[in-house]
Amino acid sequence: MNRSATLMPVLTVLAAVLLTIAPLPDPVAPWRPYWVALVLIYWHLETGNLHSLGSAFAIGIVLDLTTGTLLGQHALGLVIINFLVGRFRNRLRFFPPWQQALAVGALLVNDRIVQLWIIGLLERGWPDWSWWLPPVTGMLLWPWLFLLLDALRSRRRVAR
Amino acid sequence: MNGAGAGNRITPYDTVGGTARLMFYALLAISLMALDYRGQYLERFRTLAGHLVEPLFWAVDLPWSGIESTADIWRDRAESSRRIAELELDLLQARARLGLLADLESENAQLRTVLETARRIEQEFIAAELAGVDLDPFAHRIMVRRGRVDGIRQGMPVIDARGVLGQVDQVMIGMSQIILISDPDHALPVQILPGGERTIAYGSGSPDRLRLTDLPMNAGVNRGDLIVTSGIGGRFPAGLPVARVESVQRQAGQPFATARATPLAAMARNRLVLILQAVPPVDEPPATDDDSSGPVEDSVDPAASAQDDPA
Repeated sequence: MNRSATLMPVLTVLAAVLLTIAPLPDPVAPWRPYWVALVLIYWHLETGNLHSLGSAFAIGIVLDLTTGTLLGQHALGLVIINFLVGRFRNRLRFFPPWQQALAVGALLVNDRIVQLWIIGLLERGWPDWSWWLPPVTGMLLWPWLFLLLDALRSRRRVAR
Repeated sequence: MNGAGAGNRITPYDTVGGTARLMFYALLAISLMALDYRGQYLERFRTLAGHLVEPLFWAVDLPWSGIESTADIWRDRAESSRRIAELELDLLQARARLGLLADLESENAQLRTVLETARRIEQEFIAAELAGVDLDPFAHRIMVRRGRVDGIRQGMPVIDARGVLGQVDQVMIGMSQIILISDPDHALPVQILPGGERTIAYGSGSPDRLRLTDLPMNAGVNRGDLIVTSGIGGRFPAGLPVARVESVQRQAGQPFATARATPLAAMARNRLVLILQAVPPVDEPPATDDDSSGPVEDSVDPAASAQDDPA
């Protein structure tokens, strides 16, 4: 039972990694949400899978390897997200969807600030305003992603 | 709602232990970043892990390359023949130009034998298609569908039809990652053409700009000058076009003049790139320890190239 309970989160995180590097046309690319963070937040909030900082770190390293960033860059961001979700989990879980979406948006904006700090330290050129688009997309997508993953999870439960 | 069983497993984060764990992982991530930024240290890990994540790249690229090939199949006959005619015309013009160059080449060879200098080596190259994989826009890297099995090795120069693009950074089995010259970590030994000044072109972090520092104050560098590789360091053959000088700043009180340049290569907007296979032998002794350094030519320090300058 334990095995099938962890298989689903791992598969969805993997799908999120693929979505992160999937090619998008140039005008749409800046809107690409932080898929991995969204999926991670969902599993942590709803089932407590992937709740440990270690799993966030490991996922972050995989993401760093696939996107070609410095090793540890995404890992740091995801560890911080997972920590904050764990800290406010009991409150976040019982928020109505729109409020939850706002909270998720705040988490994603916070992550963007962390990433901006790293990029700033590396002198990799200053990002323009489109830097702040992914949290917006992430926030708008959150309720729908929530419903989708919920549906996947309940299907799984019935099948078992 | 989920059962209480799952809820109980969750570690509380509002305790000292939770904060300590956050600190631990944050420090781990930051030290990893520092090590990775310094280069070399994580080389082995990156190579190993690259093989592990390569299936992910293939999974993303597969539908994309599938779409490309079906588009090729379904392309209109009329359009295909038009394209063939176009390409034939291009080929004809290129051949004509090459014919003129062949004359120059034989003349050059004669001059070189007279001068007893080393002969230029014929460059072998591999054409590589860009993979349908989007990397982090701030990473200044692109993926191509060629890898170890195609004979790609780390450090090989990569060019496109217009100029130098970068060099091979990480080689996987069937794919490799290319670091662009616009990456702030990338340093390329160059020569500015009419004057022959030698310097280093650094990436600026923006895809359409390179930084030239360490120019002598009295250097005769002007806007529009062509920048080519100088061949120092032995990784890039000499004479490949790199960029054009955009502006030169000579600030009073500074020891060196600086310049900005626009790369000639189309950076990430290419569909095909060329990977130069043979790294030319160099007549300078430091080439041997240069090969052991990381993908970035940081072992060539500006001071060394300044000494090399006969001026």
